[in-house]
Amino acid sequence: MTLRYVSSPEIPEGLAVRIEELSLRYKINVESKMTLKNAIMRAGRGEKRQVRTIEAVKNLSLDIPHGTVVGVVGANGAGKSTLMRAIAGILPPTEGRIIVNGKVSTLLALGVGFNGTLSGRDNIILGGLAAGLERKELEERFDDIANFADLPNGFIDMPMRTYSAGMYGRLAFSVAVNMTPDILLIDEALSTGDAAFKEKSFEKMRELCLEARTIIIVSHALGTLKELCTKTLWMHQGKALAFGDSTEVTDKYLEFLNVGKVSAALEDF
Amino acid sequence: MTREMKPSKGESFVPLIQVFEPHKASLPPMGPYLREFWRRRRFAFELARFTDKAEHLNSPLGAVWLVLNPLLLALIYFLLVTIIGGRASAGSSPFDVLAHILVALFTWYFAQNCMTFGGASVTAGGKLILNQAFPRALLPLSSLIGAFQKFIPTLPVYFIIFLVGGALDSKSKLPGLNWHLLWVPVIIGLVAISGFGLALLFATMNVYFRDTSKLMTYGARMWLYLSPVLWVPEMISGWHRIIIWINPLGPILSITHVVWIKGENPSWTLWLGASSWALALLLAGGYFFISRERDFAVRI
Repeated sequence: MTLRYVSSPEIPEGLAVRIEELSLRYKINVESKMTLKNAIMRAGRGEKRQVRTIEAVKNLSLDIPHGTVVGVVGANGAGKSTLMRAIAGILPPTEGRIIVNGKVSTLLALGVGFNGTLSGRDNIILGGLAAGLERKELEERFDDIANFADLPNGFIDMPMRTYSAGMYGRLAFSVAVNMTPDILLIDEALSTGDAAFKEKSFEKMRELCLEARTIIIVSHALGTLKELCTKTLWMHQGKALAFGDSTEVTDKYLEFLNVGKVSAALEDF
Repeated sequence: MTREMKPSKGESFVPLIQVFEPHKASLPPMGPYLREFWRRRRFAFELARFTDKAEHLNSPLGAVWLVLNPLLLALIYFLLVTIIGGRASAGSSPFDVLAHILVALFTWYFAQNCMTFGGASVTAGGKLILNQAFPRALLPLSSLIGAFQKFIPTLPVYFIIFLVGGALDSKSKLPGLNWHLLWVPVIIGLVAISGFGLALLFATMNVYFRDTSKLMTYGARMWLYLSPVLWVPEMISGWHRIIIWINPLGPILSITHVVWIKGENPSWTLWLGASSWALALLLAGGYFFISRERDFAVRI
């Protein structure tokens, strides 16, 4: 985490996120396992470590004003999740910089940090503390979180390994939105809930926007993005191909995919 | 669409504007890092508590094992030392030998648990690391808290054995209740600092080499034999005493022996050795961990 505290704002008023010429590269190990044994044996054979450099994000610049809902689309491996992690401060930039104005809450993968042996109640506390909330604040918000997740009777005190994927997702979403974030990052997390919960989560997100909070959503469900987002970013092989009006960008993206406006791509899956 | 953003009560340390920039293998600005680390300390405590809870859900004996395990191990070592080594015949009461092994082993296990739990803390916290931004040093801190919680119940047990056994065994030279026992919290503090340093070191190593924790099992066993746990510091003289000083836990385990078993004030050289090692381990571990922690999300 690279935190630099600034006394004078380096971000124009009204912007929630400013990304300046951001590039993100990282090396992945081609070897099966990174172990001391392998390292010594490799050194004995005089071989070098086999690594591959991945350029996940290339020279991306973006300004996101407060109160916008930004959708991010792109094929698998386009760098969407990496970009989200960089905005959250989890992955440091290789080049460029990101300025984030406000408290960030993340919902980057389902069941984030949840321990299956522990109850939903314990996991809410652990997840909230990891997100930087005080214990007292968490206790105050606990009922809101539990009510919003609306789990079947008694499940909140059952071990999370007994939860269905949908219940897991509901709880994770409920924790993330109830952290009163200024910026909410959601990665592929809206697909497990049922139709009723999906509608409820849309409503919650609209509510957050009215409070001038910012939401960035990565999703393959173009229908959802069209409905929810004011702007959409289309990423392809680490580059931003388009950023603008959601309908326009998603249409372009569909055109690129060469599938036309088929219903399958518009459905939430 | 702007609004005024003010930190709510209790959130005064939350930076409203965060800047993420490229970095090399160097430390982030330490002031903000440490402030954020301190602000989120509660997370480390709760993580330790919940990890412990999750472990004990499947074990009805639960906390009893925490005491029983090192106690039984101490008995085995005692039998090895007295019967095979014949140390009891050297003049000291067998009970005193047992008392030394017990207190040294309990203290040793506190440090070893820091290493073991700490070593796995980052690799086991994979999901959390990939999905939340927080000072990663909170994970080894949580291991230290977990190890401390396992160590604390052993203290009263030892204290009872130390007092009752010492009184019952006429040959025993144990000092009983005395003022020097006031050093015990300082000893625990120094072991905790050393343990945290070790947790930070092994946590980082385990990210780069996943077999570190396996190798640590053997390494720790060797380290135990080289430390004044199964033997007492006075058994070594002359230049051989270097074995105590080059061992990061040597001086503090010697202090443990001097305070509990001999009932004396430890020499200032021992205090200097123990505090220097604790500080060196904390600084080395802290530097190694914090300068590399931004790399963890990619390597997990």
